[in-house]
Amino acid sequence: MARLFKGAEYLITEATKDDVFTPEDFSEEQRQIAHTADQFVQEEVTPVLDRLEHQEPGLAAALMRKAGEAGLLMIDAPEAYGGLALDKATSMLAAERMGAAGAFSVSYAAHSGIGTLPLVYYGTEAQKDRYLGKLVTGEWSAAYCLTEPEAGSDALGGKTTATLTPDGKHYLLDGTKQFITNGSFADLFTVFARVDKKHFTAFLVERTTPGLTVGPEEKKLGIKGSSTTPVVFEGAKVPVENVLGEIGKGHKIAFNVLNVGRFKLGAAVTGAAKLAFKTGVAYANARKQFGVPIARFGAIQEKVADLTAGLFAAESLVYRLAGLIDDRLATIPKDAAGYYEAYQQGIEEYAIECAIAKVFCSEVLADVVDEVVQIHGGYGFIQEYPAEKYYRDERINRIFEGTNEINRLLVPGTILRRAMKGELPLQREAMKAMEALMTPSLDELDPSQPFAAERAVLGGLKKTFLVVAGAAVQRYMDALKDEQEVLLALADVAIQVFAIESALLRAEKISPRLPESRRADVAAAVKVHTFSAVEKLAAAARRAAFYVAEGDTLTVLLGGIRRFTKYDASGLLAAKRRLAAAALEGERYPL
Amino acid sequence: MSNVLVIAEQSRGTLRKATLSALTAAREVARRTGGGVSALVLGSGAGAAAEELAAHGVPVRLADAPVLAHPLAEAHAPVVAEAARAAGASWVVTAATSYGKDLLPRAAVALGAAVATEVLAIAGDGGEILLRRPMWAGNVIAEVELRTAVKAFSVRPTEFAPAARAPGGSVTPMAVAVDAASLGTRFVELQEVKSERPELTDARVVVAGGRGTKGDFGPLSALADDLGAAVGASRAAVDAGWVPNDWQVGQTGKVVAPDLYVAAGISGAIQHVAGMKGAKVIVAINKDADAPIFQIADYGLVADLFQAVPALRERLKAG
Amino acid sequence: MPLKLLVTVKRVEDPESRIKAKPDGSGIVTDGVNYKMNPFDEIAVEEALRLKEKHGGEVVVASLGGAAAMTELRAALAMGADRGLLVRHDGALDPGIVSALLQALVAAERPDLVMLGKQAIDDDQNQAGQMLAARLGWPQATFASKKESLESEAEQKKQPGVAVAADGKRALVVREVDGGVETLEVALPAVVTVDLRLNKPRFASLPGIMKAKKKEVREIPAASLGVELAPSVVVRRLLDPPRRQAGVKVADVAELWTRLHAEAKVL
Repeated sequence: MARLFKGAEYLITEATKDDVFTPEDFSEEQRQIAHTADQFVQEEVTPVLDRLEHQEPGLAAALMRKAGEAGLLMIDAPEAYGGLALDKATSMLAAERMGAAGAFSVSYAAHSGIGTLPLVYYGTEAQKDRYLGKLVTGEWSAAYCLTEPEAGSDALGGKTTATLTPDGKHYLLDGTKQFITNGSFADLFTVFARVDKKHFTAFLVERTTPGLTVGPEEKKLGIKGSSTTPVVFEGAKVPVENVLGEIGKGHKIAFNVLNVGRFKLGAAVTGAAKLAFKTGVAYANARKQFGVPIARFGAIQEKVADLTAGLFAAESLVYRLAGLIDDRLATIPKDAAGYYEAYQQGIEEYAIECAIAKVFCSEVLADVVDEVVQIHGGYGFIQEYPAEKYYRDERINRIFEGTNEINRLLVPGTILRRAMKGELPLQREAMKAMEALMTPSLDELDPSQPFAAERAVLGGLKKTFLVVAGAAVQRYMDALKDEQEVLLALADVAIQVFAIESALLRAEKISPRLPESRRADVAAAVKVHTFSAVEKLAAAARRAAFYVAEGDTLTVLLGGIRRFTKYDASGLLAAKRRLAAAALEGERYPL
Repeated sequence: MSNVLVIAEQSRGTLRKATLSALTAAREVARRTGGGVSALVLGSGAGAAAEELAAHGVPVRLADAPVLAHPLAEAHAPVVAEAARAAGASWVVTAATSYGKDLLPRAAVALGAAVATEVLAIAGDGGEILLRRPMWAGNVIAEVELRTAVKAFSVRPTEFAPAARAPGGSVTPMAVAVDAASLGTRFVELQEVKSERPELTDARVVVAGGRGTKGDFGPLSALADDLGAAVGASRAAVDAGWVPNDWQVGQTGKVVAPDLYVAAGISGAIQHVAGMKGAKVIVAINKDADAPIFQIADYGLVADLFQAVPALRERLKAG
Repeated sequence: MPLKLLVTVKRVEDPESRIKAKPDGSGIVTDGVNYKMNPFDEIAVEEALRLKEKHGGEVVVASLGGAAAMTELRAALAMGADRGLLVRHDGALDPGIVSALLQALVAAERPDLVMLGKQAIDDDQNQAGQMLAARLGWPQATFASKKESLESEAEQKKQPGVAVAADGKRALVVREVDGGVETLEVALPAVVTVDLRLNKPRFASLPGIMKAKKKEVREIPAASLGVELAPSVVVRRLLDPPRRQAGVKVADVAELWTRLHAEAKVL
């Protein structure tokens, strides 16, 4: 790959198709790994989903061991501890395929992501020797204990304390963690607590630690097949050797690991969405009303087309991000001291994109399950059909790993912070965008070029972000960080730009290699997605404009937004019908 | 000369009905090429089967020897090759049973013959006979040409009506030169599936169950007994270990063509349909109104099989 | 006695893909079709791996076809096979050619057992194993299965269904035949073709996949094996199968009986 991109750089520079990694770039090994994950889901998980839903004791842990035997827990761990040290693209691919495993997908993600990665990134050799081998084989399951009854989105607001014993050999942990995924069967808990009520610190806590008790299963709306319990610490005696990372640096662990967690969640929900989608199109083909399959109706086809386009964008976005991170991580010498320090910084660089992946993909899943229920009509509301469960299982994804609101706020918040620090030339670019606003461009579309209309609008969309963000900064200056309504609107603009561009770049990259009909399907997906995403983006930009400007400034801003978001979607209906036909014909996500 | 040789299948002197379907196919080839049809019966103590086949108007050669007692391809193949040469056969035909599928390609190598398996229909004439056979689990039908001097094929018995009895047949013994000591294959045992019910492939009525039985084949078996029917199953039911392997109807199991096929709790995956779509009348009983089985069933009843099947039995008894 | 096992691996259309004939009958529509290892071959690979685990030895996997078949060979290597042979041939094959090419591989490799899927799920021929045995003059045991179900303890423990004697000279093979289950004893070397319920194949583990990258796959041009490569089973055209039309939905059991009795006259 040609260039190394900085986080959020996509908003101010132009990327080309050669700069992105796409699902079509997977190697043969990566495809085989995906196949293994598919088989694992089909043969090991799907047949026991009902039993999982009823919380059959020992079943989830047994499945985790089977996942370990298949090597699905080894992806992110270093080779020295029985891992495979594979890249993020592979990790995301496995997460995506495991996303079809229903509630077990959540158990898997909690174990292999937030459960294991803190140890991988911050553990000492002794800690890894002791625990990592057990986690990568699935012999032990892992859980991550950050949330407390009064500390949800305010993740650092926890009250759990750690007090050094007089002999200096142990910490005594006191407090209650809740909503702990894998709580009922996890063997190792990564627990955050304040040393001396001050220094936020992570601890590795074994299940058998005296003073640790696991509370009862929560009764949940969805993902009922996963375990969610409180974990209570009453003078739980943890050896000082089990402090993870440095005392007082727990927040770094908590947040950095969440970056990967969010990114992984973006992949996993994309997999879940593909499964629900498949159910929906199969039903549309099978269900007859008025004497014909409902798949023949435009009302259904339009849903199918819109969902297909959304899935295409979600995939494009997730794997582009995987490529961005992998390119950066590949520059770090593996044997270097402080490897994981640099590694962490490499991931932190893309905190914005990680948040975008979480928000965008979880909302694509929300759209998919909602419409799959709708396609099922009354049957969608009945438990005997899977649509109902998909619908319930989806909801948590917009809540955990940082609510979508927290993640949205993080996007412009981080961008502005980096701009202030001079890491991102936002101001300069915003000025340029403002100038462009005043000087109408005379570029003519060349319709013979593939994706000419999308190329034409993309630059304008980025300028839209810049001028609106510029206006917001001008209006609120430093206080902008507290204007959440404005920040949410800016986030929506930034998110849609990333999604539109990712789908476009992927399409540009893969099209020359595709057979003609598939190429037309991809072009249709880009058109359908770009159209709806530009609509959403423009609405968010106008919302922000009304929030931050008035009078002439507002008029100029609105005029600019109108011009910058002008997208020629000629042939939109034909594109939707084509895309729907491709999905309905194959009865699955077709691209 | 375009003579056609039919390889018969028998067990303990009883001719298998599938052979008569192969005879029909052989006669169709002969009609198009202008050759004669003869048959070969292999076994030990198989005279009665040979007589039975001859009663269908075909000259039969009987290779009767202890070494042929069990259906071992290694022992039978050289006899088939020798008989084909002796008969001046340019076509060798058998039924696509487990015996025929095992034996024919092995015998064909000795004759330098190309083989088409599971033939459904015969097209073309004279020098160009085209054989229709399923590919991709029956999703596609291929029209196949065989380009060797001697040609061989196996026929799917359900696709060819059994030949009728006719005069003019004969039985001629044939010397068997296979040396038992030379064989690398030894028959150990055959665990026959003993059943009061008729063979799946021969039954006039088949009652079959799938995933929807949830493992309880009781109601279906009772209905089958009332009807003198065989019991079949979908692959899902067999894979789940609910019923024996040889109950499986489908592309990878048995292909049946009864007068009546009752599919209860079977969704109708294409692999299953491939094994029963030759039935004259198909009845589907399934809770799921959208199950694909209803797309091929003559009569569909959307109902729970655990209620519908006992109710049907009562209705039957009422007459 | 350690066993040397040669197993065939064919690249076929994924059975989950929708297969239909092109309108002009010249082939199937390949748009959107995925490929995978023939499921029967997958069972053969699994059986060979179990035999190796029990007796020691080597599992060699072989594929005949285009460069793309490398993917399926790698998949077999990822399951645990030791090395691969890819006989390169881009044209059409038929069972006669396949068995002749395999015969040449057997001459070079001298395996104790050749294991093949009973048929490939693309052309559904069910011939190559029998023809190979004939060419070699070896015993054959087709449609290998086992008496225990796929849910049995023996299967959970991944025991082989084919029972090879400790001296490596004979094997007992259980076969699925019409009307029952037959057991044959074959002298080795022999050819075994496998049926659906012999075993449940393992899936490739991730470490297996990564190790497979480094395993040897030797490419052999088909033309170098001295086999006449003109097919004698030639597909002239492909047709759609006749479709059965949907009938009627009946309201209840009473109507069903009436229809079957009075209309269809089958009861």
